[in-house]
Formats: sequence, C-alpha cells, structure tokens
Amino acid sequence: MAMTTGTLNQYIQFVERIYRTGQGTVLSRLLSLRDEHVANRNLRSSDIATLVEGNCVAPLDEIIITHLLCVKALYMQDYMEAYNHQSACVASVVRLLQSQKEENWSLPLMYTVCLDLRLVAQKVEACNPQSNGKIMEKAAESLLACFRVCAADNRSSDYETKRLGMLNLVNQLLKVYFRINKLHLCKPLIRAIDSSPFKEQFPLAQQITYRYFVGRKAMFDSDYRAADEYLSFAFQNCHRKSNKNKRLILTYLVPVKMLLGFMPAKHLLQKYDLLQFWDLVSAVKNGDLRGIDRVMEEHESFFIQAGIYLMVEKLKITAYRNLFRKVYLAENTHQIDIASFQAALQLMGQDDVDSDETQCIVANLIYDGKIKGYISYQHKKVVVSKQNAFPPLSSLY
Amino acid sequence: MSSYFDYFCVNIYTNCAARNDIIHGTCNSMCPQSEQNLREKEGLVHILEVLGSERKLVKCYSRSAADSNMAVPNLLRPYNVLRDTVDYLLLDVTRRVDVPISSVYDFVNDRLRAVRQDMTIQRLPPEQCVNLLEPMIRFYVYFGYKLCEHPLSDYDPVLNKKYLLECIKWFLSCYESVQLWENNAKINEISSFLSNLEINNRYMKKLTCDRELMESLYILCNLGDVHPLYRYFNLPKDIKSNSTVQLSYKIAIAHLKGNYARVCSMLDALCPLTYFAVSVYLPTIQRNALRVMSHAYNSRQLAVPTAVLRQWLWFPSDADVITVCEHYGLQAEGATVRFSKADFKTEVATHEPKKLLLHEETLKMDLENIFTYKIQK
Repeated sequence: MAMTTGTLNQYIQFVERIYRTGQGTVLSRLLSLRDEHVANRNLRSSDIATLVEGNCVAPLDEIIITHLLCVKALYMQDYMEAYNHQSACVASVVRLLQSQKEENWSLPLMYTVCLDLRLVAQKVEACNPQSNGKIMEKAAESLLACFRVCAADNRSSDYETKRLGMLNLVNQLLKVYFRINKLHLCKPLIRAIDSSPFKEQFPLAQQITYRYFVGRKAMFDSDYRAADEYLSFAFQNCHRKSNKNKRLILTYLVPVKMLLGFMPAKHLLQKYDLLQFWDLVSAVKNGDLRGIDRVMEEHESFFIQAGIYLMVEKLKITAYRNLFRKVYLAENTHQIDIASFQAALQLMGQDDVDSDETQCIVANLIYDGKIKGYISYQHKKVVVSKQNAFPPLSSLY
Repeated sequence: MSSYFDYFCVNIYTNCAARNDIIHGTCNSMCPQSEQNLREKEGLVHILEVLGSERKLVKCYSRSAADSNMAVPNLLRPYNVLRDTVDYLLLDVTRRVDVPISSVYDFVNDRLRAVRQDMTIQRLPPEQCVNLLEPMIRFYVYFGYKLCEHPLSDYDPVLNKKYLLECIKWFLSCYESVQLWENNAKINEISSFLSNLEINNRYMKKLTCDRELMESLYILCNLGDVHPLYRYFNLPKDIKSNSTVQLSYKIAIAHLKGNYARVCSMLDALCPLTYFAVSVYLPTIQRNALRVMSHAYNSRQLAVPTAVLRQWLWFPSDADVITVCEHYGLQAEGATVRFSKADFKTEVATHEPKKLLLHEETLKMDLENIFTYKIQK
C-alpha cells in the first residue's frame, strides 16, 4: 500500500495490523518522523484525535494520535508544539512497553520515537538559543523513563528481555549530555552498561558509538590510557566507508595518542582532513614551544570546541622532553648544566623561565620517568643515566 | 549541594510553565514574628543576636521535613529583606569581637543557609540571586582561610568547601541564562541608581557583585580539577581578558603541569580573596612538589638548602620547611634537606594549611573591605 497517498483510515488499519502481528521494525517506520508517510496530506486532518479514538486499540491509539499531531506541528513549523507531542508519544510508548511482559519486539519502535524526540528537541534548541539546553534536558528525562523500563526487565529470558535495548538508549542519552555539556550525568549510565551481562552482545554499531563517547569522557577526566583503548576500538571497528565518523574519532584519538608518545603520520591526517594537527606534531617533535603557542593561537577555536585545548597544553611537557633531549645529544655529556636547558628554553621563546623553573620542569620529567637521572642543586647540573637517558615515551605507558 | 539542585530543578520547571504559582514572601523583618516569639520563650536566642538591651534576631536554618510546610508567605523574606540580612550578617555581625571567631562563623553560616533556603523556596530570579550569593562566596573563602588553623571541633574545612561550592556553582549557573543577562544590565543600572538615591544609607560601603572575581575564585578553589578550565575557555571575551581571571587561569595551568615553581612565583600578584583561596590549597601543592623533588633530587650525598625550598614553595619560614619535610619522612639536617625517593611517605595525610600572617599584613585588608572590594577591570 502506498503510505504516501492512502487515507487516514487505511493508515490506522495498517498500523494496527502490523502492531497485532508484532512486526517491530515495520511499526517503527510507520511511526517515524523520518519516513515517507509523513508527506501524506491525508494524515494531517484537522481533527486527528476524534478520528483515531475508538477506531484503534489502546494504547496504540494514543501513540498514533501524538505521532500525527507531531507531524502536523512540524509542518506548521511550531517546533515547541511538535516537541510536546513527541514527548507524549514517548510516554505512550513507555506505557506500551510496561504492558508487554516477556516480549521485546517493540524495541525498534522505542528506538525510533526516542531518536525522533532528540532530533525535535535539537530543532527547538536551534530555534530558541535562550533555552540553553533545557529542552534537551527534558528530552533526556523522557529517554530515562524508557531506560528505566528496559533496565528493570530482569525476569524475562535473555533473548526476549528489554534490557537488550539499554545500549541504544544510553547512546542517545550520551549524545544529549555531551551536547548540553552535562558530562557528570554520564557516569551512572556507563556503570549500567559496563555491569550489564549483555555488554558484548549489543550490536557492533552501538558498541562503537558507546566507546566513542566513553572514550571522550575518559579524555575529559584525563584518563588517557582508557581513552586510548575506547577510541582505538571505535576507530578500528568503525565502518571503513564512514569517513565522517572516522574523522570525529580521530579528532580525539590523535591528541590522546600524541600524549602517550605516538605521533600520527602526515598521510593519515591528510586523508581525514585533520592537518591542524600536523603543525602541532612537528612542533612537539622539535621541542618548538613557540611553534606550539602559534598553533594553539591559530586553531584556538577548533581545539576549544573539540575540548582538547588542555591536552594540547599538556603536550608542551612532551616538547620540553624533546627539547632537552636535543640539548643532551648536542652537549654529548652525562652532566648537563641547568643553564644549558634554560638557554634552550629561552631560545624557544620561554624568556620568563628562570633557573628555578627550569629545575622544576626537569624535576617533573624525572618524576614521570621521561628523563633518567637526578638534579644536583649545588652544582646546578642534571646528571643523566649512561643508558637510555631519555626512554621512548611510548615505552612509559 | 541540595539547595542549588532544588533551585536548578525549579528553574527548569518555571521556564516552561507559567510563573504564576510562585510564592512571594511577606516577612518584612530578618526573622518571622512566630520564630521570634518561639525562640524568646524557649531561650533560644543566640548571643550574637543580643545587642546590649536590644535583640536582633535573624531567621535560623531548619531542615525541610515532610511534615512541615515551609512555603508560607509570612515566614519568607522578600529580596530586599534578604539583601539587608546579608548586609547585616557580613558587615555588622562579623565585626563582633566579644565572641570567639569560630562561633561567629557558625552563626553567620547558619543564617546564610536560611537566606539561601528562602531564595530557593521563592525561586528568586537569577539577577537577584547573584547579588545575594556573591557576598556569601566571599564569606566562605575568607573564613576558609581565617579559620584554617582551628581544630576540627571548631571548624570543618570540608563543610566550608561544600557550602562554598554550592554558592559558587549556583552563582555561575545564574550567569548561564544568557538572555536574562541582557536584561540584567538594565536592572543593575536601575538598582545602582536607586541605591544612590537612598539617603539614610546605613553602610559606608555597599556589598557589590563582581563576576570576574567569582570566576577567578571558581578556578582557584578547584585547582586540581579541569572542569573550571573548560568553563574558562567558553567565557565571554571581556571576562576572559580580565587580568585577575587570566592570572587565575595561568596558575591553574601551571599547576596542571606540575610546575610548582611557576605557581608559587605568581602568588604575589593575587588579590586578597584569590590569595586566600589558593592558600588553603598550598599544602597540596607543597606535598606534590616535595614528592616530585624526592625523585628528582634523589641522592645520598647531595641536599637542597631549606632557604631555597622556603622560597620555591612559599613556606613562611625555614622552620616550617623542616617540619613539613619531616612530616613526609624526608631528612632535614641543619640548613639543608636531603631528598630520597625511598624516604618520602606517600601514605601520610597532607599537612595542615597555615595562615601566612606576614603576607596578610601586606594586604592591609579590614573585614569590611574583604566583603566589598572590587578587582581591577
């Protein structure tokens, strides 16, 4: 049947038949805001509620009414109104899920209405900047209601439990929390997934999304090893044709890897249009602190928006190590004057660094294991180990 | 965090629903009549509420419980009364010297909590909240420093930090409602115009609202934490370029990189409140520095002069250097400290902060000034 031309009655009957036969995926398309039936004028009747009511089984009638009202509001470009209807639609789906014991065929419907809710909320936010994430936050509450139903379904058997829907919802919620910058709310969600017995069974695509966000969260919390693990998984498993997603993952994976001592190759950065990092790579390699400052200034908004500005700042420590290694190689001795290091720093534009601060920088590098040796305050010298005085960074983590 | 959280939830709600169910307080004194009667009768008047023959009661904090209805207009004080209450508590009560300073702190803290409770219940708009919260933040920062040497039975630094963060986060979240803020510029103008008109102004100095100072304090009160820095990146340009905010950011970045030498060299330039905020954090900076140095200067023969450590790590005296080094298991002999990574005890608790009176004298700050000064724009 052509969903783009049928009458409202035909649509209702069709949805009902699909519902009765338990075809979750088809049902989800019939109630999606992104399906072609949305273009059907007949479904935008003036009095949707009375036409549907009594014409269809509960609680499906409410879902259809709210869905069609949302479609109508979208055509009127009244996004706030559309949001309210879609929010009611999600609430009806929650009631539907609660009434369905020991079955999970309707999970695709839940995914669809939740995704649509988030998209409508995003639209409202884009049209009303002063709302400042409040609508997204309300959308998150609706998603959490779904999440609770799924997480609480622990009596059904493993293949018909609604707990299999948790990761999809968690990914949606993570997207919302990252967008409205409320990262502290992610923790309980991450815990719920990490302790789930289905952790490895979720679809690969969902796992990739999940690790991408958890990796970014670890990055914000300065846990770079965990970030590396999650983001690497996401990058390696990401579909090789989804360049946009790969670029997104690399935006975070590259600086994480750099902090851990692995510098990216130029052709990789070129391939994914991330050459902003290339100048940074060469500056860090050469211990060129002035160069790092220049790159930070030039790409400030990119680094800040991606939330990696602080990591770039921390890369200066790696640059100090590389600079001091050059001094060590040039002087060709195991006892290097603090003054030589200080002179190198000044050469690189760090004019305000005195002898005390130079010692402090070296002290931190020794403490981190990046230089093997010790400082003699009396002689104002750094005495480095005869073997492997500057161990490769990648060997430290 | 509770009242901040309540406020936040309420705010989401009110922004969407009509604001017609808001309670407006009608209590025009600092303490509701019913509470005054009760406390007079039961002998619950605090010594700081007795002024010679006169009594000046201020509403106490009481936990909200399921059986008590706190949303009663005649128990709640409207904005202007709350404002006077905060003025009175900070500019008058804190000057009392006949009572131990820790009791003054307990009293004012309790009454300020009651103020915040009234703010929450009445859902005061953000432009009013900031004016009440700003002086409270100063109070918690100042007393956090002033009382840092007191025993735990007198003063609890953890609770103080909790209240401080509650106020500061609430304050900053008020500024996040961008649109409200444009209106606020006008509100500030009007209110300063009105306060200039006030003839019988009780105080020579008025409490102010200094956002730049608060942004700086937020960074410095959370030195080990990266989240204030993420906030800093997204601040409006004019605030980001303020010299105090910049200095605070630089200190936090140096601290992030473990650069204790740079952190300590910048402390001199701080204004009093930002200095107080860092000084309670100083023991942690010193501890981390000594741990790093015990690896870097690790040697059986060599040592570092105490005078150098005093200067590097902002210790008040050589004797303090020795006490603290010994606290962490390092050997201090005469005028030098011997560093050894095996000696450094990582398991001992961080040493207690000390008031650096020498520096305080150079600040020449009286109490009134602490609560009212503005930083350079």
